[in-house]
Amino acid sequence: MQRALLSCALIGFTNGFLGTFIILRRQALLADALSHSLLPGLALAAMIVGLSPGGLLLGGLLAALFVALGAQIMARNSRLKEETAVASLYIIAFALGIVLIRFAKVKVDLTHFLFGNILGVCNGDLWIAYGAAFLTLGTLVLFQRPLLLTLFDAAVAQASGVRIRWVETGLLALTVLGLVASLQAVGVLLSLGLLIIPAATAYLLTDSFTRMLWGGAFLGMICAVGGLFLSFFANIPSGPCIVMLMAVFLGAAYLFSPRYGVFFKLIRGHHYHEESLERWEGHQGHDHQVPQKSSDKEFKA
Amino acid sequence: MSVNHTHREPMLCIEDLTVSYHRVPAIHHLSLLLGSGHCVGLFGPNGAGKSTLLKSVAGLLKPETGRILIEGITLEKAASLIAYLPQRESVDWDFPVTVCGLVEMGRYHQVGLLGSFSQSDQRAVDEALELFNLTPLARRQIKELSGGQQQRAFLARAWAQEADLYLLDEPFSGLDRTSSAALASALGTLRERGKLLLVSHHALGEAESLFDTAILLNGELVACGPTKESLTPQNLECAYGTAVYSGAHHHS
Repeated sequence: MQRALLSCALIGFTNGFLGTFIILRRQALLADALSHSLLPGLALAAMIVGLSPGGLLLGGLLAALFVALGAQIMARNSRLKEETAVASLYIIAFALGIVLIRFAKVKVDLTHFLFGNILGVCNGDLWIAYGAAFLTLGTLVLFQRPLLLTLFDAAVAQASGVRIRWVETGLLALTVLGLVASLQAVGVLLSLGLLIIPAATAYLLTDSFTRMLWGGAFLGMICAVGGLFLSFFANIPSGPCIVMLMAVFLGAAYLFSPRYGVFFKLIRGHHYHEESLERWEGHQGHDHQVPQKSSDKEFKA
Repeated sequence: MSVNHTHREPMLCIEDLTVSYHRVPAIHHLSLLLGSGHCVGLFGPNGAGKSTLLKSVAGLLKPETGRILIEGITLEKAASLIAYLPQRESVDWDFPVTVCGLVEMGRYHQVGLLGSFSQSDQRAVDEALELFNLTPLARRQIKELSGGQQQRAFLARAWAQEADLYLLDEPFSGLDRTSSAALASALGTLRERGKLLLVSHHALGEAESLFDTAILLNGELVACGPTKESLTPQNLECAYGTAVYSGAHHHS
């Protein structure tokens, strides 16, 4: 139980942190595709080196990078767009994985792949989670500024000297690492949920990149740990429990976020007073009609 | 074809530049020199290579022939001196960043990967906000600005970056009269402070009031010089009257 809690907290935090980058780069679906393309790599690794954690990690990493890079190459050299290439490749990879599992002598459980087994976490898995968390968080914090520039506008970042190819490839590699490292404990579906939902919740609540980053991370950790406790006491499977808890937060933010919530938008309505005042400033002769001084005047010639 | 008034290295030096898309060149063997303290308008029909020229100077496109020098140094080393302003459509306006945060991005190059903002960085940010009349809007999310304010916010970011060369791709498109006037005056301020601005623009009518120098393109360089002298009826006929060449182009 202690190991389960610890790995949940680690994975929740790391994925929540990474999630901000995925969402702002609009790659939620790519992450989904990557997660499914892990299967053939895992099957191959299981055939070659058996079910050791390190082998699985390597296999998954290679498979997902194959799909991601393959899609990029296809998109660059043909008229296919990247999302089409990704969708095609990951379905092919998934099918290939199922075929390979047939031939692998070892047993790879598909349910386990999708949902993981949090209570079956061994020390080796925990070490992998530690390593992945350390590597992911370290890299992201270190390269936060070039990442932010690239996410905001890749062309502008490139013009100002950021090596966006490296930044984008690095982010992709970290996504794969995050997915693979959390595979054993929570499975690809929950790992994906922890990647997307907490960051999406934070995105609805703040206009600050930094707050979104750390908010998503802490929310991911809280949901992962809280969900595990809930599942323990209510005796329901842990994965769905964690996802449902995240859903509650997402729903609440969607409805009741002070700035972007649907509820407040409804009761407040649109009221752009400043914008309305600005229109008056075009009419120089009518200055006296402006009911009160606007503090943010247009740039005057 | 030179409008260089400084004694130092010219701000922007383009030598024999050819840029192609799938071997169809958008710019052919273009050479020009521009000095600092100018607001330069880029004119020409659609497909004349205005955006291509801007992107090449920004380092986003690889030249097929020739080279570009900024103050005598190559593009790779001069990246921090260049500010490329994105077209409005390419920006994600829902990005979680305020006007102040956007301008702070301009300082990232000086601050480095992990360095914290020093007082001089903060001063540069405040100065940029002040210069473009954005101080009262500093806490707003960027979507809550008008079109003209958004353009100025990006200019402020470039100012904080201490860029010397500003590249703007159709900044006036979609702006109403008031916002256009505000943007024009902001560009004027930058020119007075010794910056070089390269601005693509499609309306010829305002050319003389907005730009002191004009470049006329049609795949080739048709004219480059003081606005009045380069936008002559003859040159305009030459730029807009002939179809843009779009055949394949080979270098042996």
